[in-house]
Amino acid sequence: MHISRIQIENFRNFSDVDVQVSKDIVIVGENRIGKSNLVHALRLVLDPSLPDSSRNLREEDFWDGLPRPLKKSDRIKISVDIAKFEDNPNQLALLAEHIISPEPMIARLTFVWQPLADLEGEPTRDSDYEFSVYGGDRPENRISYEIRRRLPFELLPALRDCENDLARWGRSPLRPLLDKVVSELDREILVSLAEDVDDATVALAELKPIEEVAESIANKLETMVGTSQTTKMALRLSSTDPDKLIRALRLFIDDGKRGVEYASLGSANLLYFALKALEYDQLVADGTRDHTFLAIEEPEAHLHPNLQRLIFKNYLRPRIGTEEGASSVKSTSVLMTTHSPQIASVAPIRNFLILRKKPNSKATEAVSTAQLKLSKHDKADLERYIDVNRGEMLFARGVIFVEGDAERFLIPVLASNQGINLDKHGVSVCSVSGTNFAPYLKLMGPLGLNIPFSALTDMDPRQPDSEGNEREPLGPDRVVNGMLQHLFTSELWEESDYEAILDSSSQNGVFINDHTLEIDLFKSGLHECFKSVMEQLSSNSAAKSRMEFWSTNPAELDPIQFLKDIEEVGKGRFAQRLASIIDRNKSKKCPKYIIEGIAHVLEKCNPS
Amino acid sequence: MSSKNAIRAKPPYVTASNDLRENEGQWQAYQSEGNCVLLAGPGSGKTKTLTIKMARMLHEDVAKPRGIACITYNNQCARELRRRLGGLGVEDGRRVSIGTLHSFCLQHLILPYAHLTELPVPDPVSVATIEEQKKCWADAVSTVISKDENPRDWEFRCSTYRRTHLDRDKAEWHGDGGDTANVIEAYENALHSKGVIDFDGMVLNGLQLVEQCEWIQKAIRAKFPILVVDEYQDLGHALHRIVQCLCFKAGLRLLAVGDPDQSVYGFTGAEPALLNNLSESDSVETVHLKLNYRCGPTIIKASETALGEKRDFKSNSDEEGTVDLHARPLGIDDQAEFVCDSIIPGAFKRRENLDFGNIAVLYRTKNEGDIIAQEVERIGWDFIRIDQGNPYPRSPVISWLEECAAWCSDGWQSGTPRLSTILHDWVRFNHSIASDTELRTKRNELVKFLHSNRLPTQPLNTWLTKFHSSCLDDTLQHEQRLRDDKIAVQKLLDISSANSPLENFTVSTFSGQRGSATHLNLMTLHSAKGLEFDVVVMIGLEEGILPNHRSKTTAALREDRRLFYVGLTRARSEVHLVYSGWYDAFGWRFKNGPSRFVKEVKASLNSQ
Repeated sequence: MHISRIQIENFRNFSDVDVQVSKDIVIVGENRIGKSNLVHALRLVLDPSLPDSSRNLREEDFWDGLPRPLKKSDRIKISVDIAKFEDNPNQLALLAEHIISPEPMIARLTFVWQPLADLEGEPTRDSDYEFSVYGGDRPENRISYEIRRRLPFELLPALRDCENDLARWGRSPLRPLLDKVVSELDREILVSLAEDVDDATVALAELKPIEEVAESIANKLETMVGTSQTTKMALRLSSTDPDKLIRALRLFIDDGKRGVEYASLGSANLLYFALKALEYDQLVADGTRDHTFLAIEEPEAHLHPNLQRLIFKNYLRPRIGTEEGASSVKSTSVLMTTHSPQIASVAPIRNFLILRKKPNSKATEAVSTAQLKLSKHDKADLERYIDVNRGEMLFARGVIFVEGDAERFLIPVLASNQGINLDKHGVSVCSVSGTNFAPYLKLMGPLGLNIPFSALTDMDPRQPDSEGNEREPLGPDRVVNGMLQHLFTSELWEESDYEAILDSSSQNGVFINDHTLEIDLFKSGLHECFKSVMEQLSSNSAAKSRMEFWSTNPAELDPIQFLKDIEEVGKGRFAQRLASIIDRNKSKKCPKYIIEGIAHVLEKCNPS
Repeated sequence: MSSKNAIRAKPPYVTASNDLRENEGQWQAYQSEGNCVLLAGPGSGKTKTLTIKMARMLHEDVAKPRGIACITYNNQCARELRRRLGGLGVEDGRRVSIGTLHSFCLQHLILPYAHLTELPVPDPVSVATIEEQKKCWADAVSTVISKDENPRDWEFRCSTYRRTHLDRDKAEWHGDGGDTANVIEAYENALHSKGVIDFDGMVLNGLQLVEQCEWIQKAIRAKFPILVVDEYQDLGHALHRIVQCLCFKAGLRLLAVGDPDQSVYGFTGAEPALLNNLSESDSVETVHLKLNYRCGPTIIKASETALGEKRDFKSNSDEEGTVDLHARPLGIDDQAEFVCDSIIPGAFKRRENLDFGNIAVLYRTKNEGDIIAQEVERIGWDFIRIDQGNPYPRSPVISWLEECAAWCSDGWQSGTPRLSTILHDWVRFNHSIASDTELRTKRNELVKFLHSNRLPTQPLNTWLTKFHSSCLDDTLQHEQRLRDDKIAVQKLLDISSANSPLENFTVSTFSGQRGSATHLNLMTLHSAKGLEFDVVVMIGLEEGILPNHRSKTTAALREDRRLFYVGLTRARSEVHLVYSGWYDAFGWRFKNGPSRFVKEVKASLNSQ
């Protein structure tokens, strides 16, 4: 089972959120955008450890944008939809009364904080409100504590103290695991072991020097407070009661040489996750609960980046599984909030829930990748890309998609010379390594995450064919069928013609040049820079002199030879050097499609 | 040694089950593992076996969070089962749901699921009052048939038809000329346009939901893997179909309990064939309980004679028991006088420790009830009367008010009834309240009222008027499912006011109406079902009354025979059969002689 949809009205950062989510959820977003508040919203509905006093909210829990004083009609409402429980009889038994849709079954649980039903006039204080938690969109159908107890939401907060929890028996995740096996142990063996331990302990304590230590402590106490207050002193190992013996066991690291308290923070966290996961599985196997919604805030805390990637690639991701249906057998669904590109980069593409500021509003909005229409290949492409680029795309406020590394090196410099710092604006330049923009546009476009973007592509004119016939350039068809198609709803797509679509490209964020990046750069007035690069990098004197000729006579440019010469140096290497030269000479010259592309994404990021 | 290894306390049912061990049938039922039909003769310890078995299944066969649903014939039976299960440590609640067939349909089928289907059910569910039902029948009859017809005749015929003809899309629905079906459809449309539903409608809708939606079967099976049905023989065709669907199609395990010989509700569509048919099914284990712990051997013999079938019941009673015949030639008044002047005083002389609560006068109709009630009143004994001539209807709220009165009389000291049970029912009545605060207020109002009115001698009318204005009226006004109760409470207020029949009722006398050691029981044979008394007096045993002159078919005659059988088998020690050989009705005197059943019993007694 898993959460399939979250709706939040008027709670803290959220004025009106309605987002579909998939099996497991990775919440990403800037600081203070409301990641913890989203988690807290879910706790109000599902967490059995949250006391009811914490469900009594306050005036400041209402969304800031709601005009004050609050009106009687203002309420906080949080609904969680749950799916894929129907084949587990226990889960179905718990949720059967809360179904809102039968096939496939979806259940809904709702928390609401609202003015008392019989309140006269407008609410003026917190005590004019009450909460209720109900199921199936029927307010009189209040849910019992049993649901929260058997389908608990457990939070491992960001500021967890794993070392301390591991060290203290009462809170140790080791405890339930050991308690469980105590009942399976042979009682007689346990008693005889306890006696052995007792013998050893007594022998140890009776060693002369040790006995003296105990005596000296007793004497000191006596001189301090007198005989009446002192108790008998003895030095012992921990309890030798057969039942408590097991509780005296501690985890040691490094082949038993060091206690777990000497483990690094990272190892302690790692161990803690492992023990918790074991515990949850065991609780479900024991029948004391039927599922765990596990929320981990910032799992990256205290973990080395490499470890972050490893643990989540090897532990979390195989659990999440890549195929549908796997989740119904899994007894824990995981939700995490993260700042870590390391973690985002290894999460499955459909698991993202992105929180960000709503344009022109103080509220936070939520978008998710759960419902994206992606082919298997799209998914693979995106996951590989996000992995390699450490998920930067998902943390960006805006993205400029380009075909290759050349653009990736050059565009930040060209922008900077226009007085624009893309980093400061939170805009990333991402290369799709070719011309297959489709998966990226599906992900980021208005039908996906709707993150501001522009996409820059080449016209790519073609040589006449072998019989000398003119051939259409490749660019326009790519723009229409390979790019804009994924930004249009299917209805709009069906009713528009090719020309109209092509004409709308720049308003939809797709920008095309006249030829190819290098040629357009050259023609924009940067030919002097090309000459310098060729001089510095090429060992081919003919190429050098050709470039020198073209830079003094730009009109004479032979595009084919020009590109050949650059490729001989290596497009990437050439672009890198070109970027540093343009950076140094501060030229404001730049092809129009690049200027427009940058302006477009900036405008979308900062709507006036 | 630690307490961990102490032997765990046995659940109460384990100890209680020792009582079943000696009785082969009871033990077989207790040990059953699959579908089980328990055919239980009178006094055979049916309820005991049922409750202990339920406690066992709940403990051993069904794990949390799943549970058991139990369907009973009426609210009294449900109350009794709850009380008995409470004694075994099992509380009615989420895991055990005990209630009538219509409350099962409403609670577990209609409220959670009807709105997710296309079934036309009013939302919110509002229950038609008896007046509204009458009005709708009258409208239906005058529209479909004619204005001159007597709607009462049609209502009776159509109600039975509606309960027994469940497949409306089949030709047989309109089979008998079509008028009946047309009136029923017109009646249902009339209810629908008023936005109300009647009790039969709830059951029919429940059946439709179960039969038409596999997902509902699945949800019910998840919640209640075991279905228990008590008094199966009285529950009719719709229940039989619900059981067929849930148990033999959806796979719930069935425990059905009943006695075809005690099937006396033919007019509601019940017939012994349904239970017999169920018990003959290959997939059930059928268990017969033959040992009668209640009646003496003479009474058992007489009852088998009356039934006309050999049942091989064995008596386990210490007393032989007596069956006496009393001919009173001067008619029903003479019979009533004789009961009060001779039979009852005689019984008190014969039997030490006998009290009025252990004596019952049973009869066929309200007519005999009027006569005996008058006579008892003349003598000045306290009595309880249960028949159509009951001065006020015994709706669920009225029964609950009797409990409240009992608490105010001495329950607050003796602990019966428990305040928690009263509060539990109160919360149930207020089912539309979604707010915890409001519910808390409701509970407080009730407790405050009850606490400040602990006075057994307070006149009923004063008590009820205060109750009404403190909280009762508010609930009756709001709750759409208590519309009939509202009318009943008003009626009780009226007849307890000055110069009305119950003017002298106190809180204590009112509470005595739930059954009391000091009150003589006057009731119809139908109402006596499930009860037992030391002394049973049956009056009005004339041919034409029992069997009824209208009982012309074999089936109808058999049912009258079973009704007589039910009367006889209520007695532990003494049965008195009183008759005149004639009776007056419709302005005529019918001289048909004593009931043929009396003659048969007489013949069998003489043959000994």
